[in-house]
Amino acid sequence: MDLETALSASVQLDRREGILRGALLRRRAELRKSWKHLISSECLESLGTIAPEVESFLSGQGSIHDWRPAAPFTWINCDASFLDCLRAISLARKVEYRSSDTSPARLSPLELNKLSNNERLKTLCARYRCPLNIGAASESDVAEELLRQLMVRDRAKLEAGEEFDVDMILLKLNLVGIHAMITRDLRFLDALNYFYELPRRSLRRLRASPRFLAFWLCIYAQLLCTPDW
Amino acid sequence: MRAAVLAGSIKTGIRIAEEIENLPGVDVFIVVCNVGMRSPLLRWSRELLSTLKSLKWWPLATKGYSYAQQGRLIILHRPLDDATSIERLRALQCDVGLHAANVIYREPTISSFRLGILNAHIGILPKYRGRCVAEWSVLQGDPTGVTVFFIDSGIDTGGRIILREFIPSKGWKRVGALKNMLFGCDACLYRKALEALMQPGVRFDSNDVSMGQRYYLMSKMFSYVVNKVL
Repeated sequence: MDLETALSASVQLDRREGILRGALLRRRAELRKSWKHLISSECLESLGTIAPEVESFLSGQGSIHDWRPAAPFTWINCDASFLDCLRAISLARKVEYRSSDTSPARLSPLELNKLSNNERLKTLCARYRCPLNIGAASESDVAEELLRQLMVRDRAKLEAGEEFDVDMILLKLNLVGIHAMITRDLRFLDALNYFYELPRRSLRRLRASPRFLAFWLCIYAQLLCTPDW
Repeated sequence: MRAAVLAGSIKTGIRIAEEIENLPGVDVFIVVCNVGMRSPLLRWSRELLSTLKSLKWWPLATKGYSYAQQGRLIILHRPLDDATSIERLRALQCDVGLHAANVIYREPTISSFRLGILNAHIGILPKYRGRCVAEWSVLQGDPTGVTVFFIDSGIDTGGRIILREFIPSKGWKRVGALKNMLFGCDACLYRKALEALMQPGVRFDSNDVSMGQRYYLMSKMFSYVVNKVL
């Protein structure tokens, strides 16, 4: 590559980054104004003690936390429960964890898909008790499968107004969002963009699972403020 | 070599057939699939409307009639993977199918062709599989283009690539127009692919799926970014 081509490619990339950053920040500003259309006051009330934190997080300027570990990690162990960890991550708080050199036995997407919805939810919550593990290299097959399900089957169901498992879809959106935070993979971020852009009547059905819905929007808010895509 | 264009309409079938029918040693058939299993009335109204809209209805009608008379225009009424459709495809004894219909191919359909079915995919394989790959290529600063490869029953995972044509996005201001241009390259690239296949000792590039990723529908926000980048 000659110098002129290299410079032109670099200028093009800078321009792309500028346009992308602008679009993400505009979406963040829009989310700041419109999140109450998604999380109704009853929904917010049902969040209990975390409601004020969620409200200030979504309405605020947007704190972010770089969730990428300093070095590539095999697995992360933590003492907190799945929901506590997810809450801490979504609200950009500190998560106490210890790195481990060994990961649990591989979970194949085929095995995962053989389970009933309920069993799948339990399996994912147990395996990703520390949800940051969805960003581990060993979990890329599972993350890809969750992305595929969201963007093919689940998306089609929501668009067609069919019945769907609210908890499962929101759990996938949370995990896919966390994967995006760690890997900076634009496809995973765009799955959240796509779902956020679905008609409001489809999204209002997600209120059936207020916690997962609030955590998803907080994770999305962080992703929109993340500078280095 | 016997090649069948698997088309969603007679018009599309003829457009591709015209590009390859003059290749020495190539016999062309047009197989029109009933995409979406439309009723005969709806199907033929659409066909008629699309022919009239093209402003070339007379040459199209003449060409269609000529293909029909030679027994080279096959209209399928049942789904493509139905046993009767597969029997008709097998009876053609074609070497290659050329994908030009919005259908999903199952294994029995693919194996009705001696070499398989070619697809002109509007992205560079193996990196870009799946949907909206032209948009994703622009967004990630990668070259745009078309890859002609033999499909399998997965999403752009067929292992044998015949050719890759890099077609720059420069000069295109809207992603829709860019995609239409890339889609429109199919006939010319199928001709090039058939020429390559008829060469002695033809070699394929490998479509190593581990070297790429599957892409999905793009959000409105990212589509806006792509249009701005163009």
